[in-house]
Amino acid sequence: MDTSVIIQIVVSGAFMGLVYALVAYGFQLTFATSKTINFGQGELVMLSAFFSLTLTRLGAPYWLMVPGGLLFGALLGLFVERAAVRLALEQKSEGWILLTIILGLLGFSSAENIWGRDDHPFPTPISSDPIHVVGVDITPLEISVAVGVLGIMGLIELFKRRTLLGKAFEAVSADRDAAELMGISSTRTVMLSYALSGAVAALAGILVAPITTVGPTMASALILKAFSVAVVAGLESGFGVVVVGLFLGGLENLASLYLGSGWREAPGLLLLILALALRPNGIFGKASIRKV
Amino acid sequence: MLKVENLHAGYGGAEVLNGVNLEVKAGTVVALIGANGAGKTTTMRAISGMVRPSKGRVLVEDLPVEGLAASRIARLGLAHSPEGRKVFGPLSVEDNLLLGAYRHLPHFLGFRSKAAADLKKVYDLFPRLEERREQLSGTLSGGEQQMLAIGRALMAQPKVVLLDEPSMGLAPVIVQEVFSIIRRLKEAGITLLLVEQFAKSALEVADYAYVMERGKIAVAGTPEELRKDERVLAAYLG
Ligand SMILES: Nc1ncnc2c1ncn2[C@@H]1O[C@H](COP(=O)(O)OP(=O)(O)O)[C@@H](O)[C@H]1O
Ligand SMILES: [Mg+2]
Repeated sequence: MDTSVIIQIVVSGAFMGLVYALVAYGFQLTFATSKTINFGQGELVMLSAFFSLTLTRLGAPYWLMVPGGLLFGALLGLFVERAAVRLALEQKSEGWILLTIILGLLGFSSAENIWGRDDHPFPTPISSDPIHVVGVDITPLEISVAVGVLGIMGLIELFKRRTLLGKAFEAVSADRDAAELMGISSTRTVMLSYALSGAVAALAGILVAPITTVGPTMASALILKAFSVAVVAGLESGFGVVVVGLFLGGLENLASLYLGSGWREAPGLLLLILALALRPNGIFGKASIRKV
Repeated sequence: MLKVENLHAGYGGAEVLNGVNLEVKAGTVVALIGANGAGKTTTMRAISGMVRPSKGRVLVEDLPVEGLAASRIARLGLAHSPEGRKVFGPLSVEDNLLLGAYRHLPHFLGFRSKAAADLKKVYDLFPRLEERREQLSGTLSGGEQQMLAIGRALMAQPKVVLLDEPSMGLAPVIVQEVFSIIRRLKEAGITLLLVEQFAKSALEVADYAYVMERGKIAVAGTPEELRKDERVLAAYLG
């Protein structure tokens, strides 16, 4: 087969991979502060996409819809923290696992009841007419995905390094008790991480919706691959999820090209199984050092 | 400045402290000594809110703080440098110090310039920390980490400082350095509650001391009084 076609296929897959990376990054944010993740994150992506679609239908322009959707995602994140995570953390129990799954199911049936089971197109002012860049066709829509994903991750990383609140976020991640002794409220920091994680998931939904359409199941495959990316890259390295996301996105497009579209999901699952078997800490994560 | 009355606390049902009473007057250094497992660390944790007291009172400047979150108590001006130092390993030395001042710095931007004077004071006290300000604190030696933990506590401009075994696991030369730092803090008028295994050295710097046994204060007095006490002499100063 023509090399340029293969490159084309890999490149457009890689853009999708960035969305997996973004959702995986959302897992990293809450894991850092609380060692918990929201197992209903896929529903959070989907609900935020539906909400943003509603905003658009009500006449909100794109530049207003995006922050509106992010805010909605952040609020959902805060709700998950309050309803499913906080009590479990206080009691040092693993109850958050089941509770976040249940909240996800609740979100799913709410979406079906409010917006119905059908898939809806997601209107966007950004064009999907390809432009030719060094031999590859790239659409402005794909570029918007890259800009959105790398932009928000860059902003959050900048916040963590340059502001004192961001450093406090890192301090809670490193040692929650010691951070409390500095006057840093770990509860508030965990809330912040859930709000950020929710906003990040909402952006993933907004970026991917014009490509996948919006429906209750829009994020079920996406979330599985985000898990793969998070497990392979580890729950610590933001750089890692981007690399693994790009790789997985390219790889699954190749799989569907050579093996048929039914094999699309195979690389993600295979990667997940391999990673869990070989490197439970992720290839980019530090192996946890056992103390004393 | 700090007053503890009939403090009870423990871990998940098992009571460790059963009625601790102690007081640290403003501008004084008070030593808390006792055997391993007596409950010294638990006392400090119960004061700073890391464990919730089941009974009793903790007063910081006459303000009851028992039952508040540790972060609230810290923001009220109580700085606790915990056992085992607990520096933020993945963060730089300077970031650790800046976080020490979290309670009175702006949380977004402009915090560095506002912390400059306090940073300078800490760097004057610990020149080695200034040399290593960009270094990740997890890569410091044990002695340097202890200096950082003390410096971080001072950054808060605290009303009272709790130091839990600052000499733990350090080479003898470094232990002497730690005690000379404590003497300088005392000269600077810092109010200090000090837990130490090296009872002799602790009594040399302290204005007042408590001896803890099985979750209770067994003996209290000035260092002179304790040095005359036969039992204390035999058990802790022998
Ligand atoms: N995190 C903990 N969980 C359960 N028991 C603890 C914990 N920390 C200390 N203890 C117990 O509390 C008692 C007092 O310990 P501690 O306050 O650390 O004493 P000290 O600091 O005087 O050596 C000991 O019997 C110890 O086993
Ligand atoms: Mg101790």
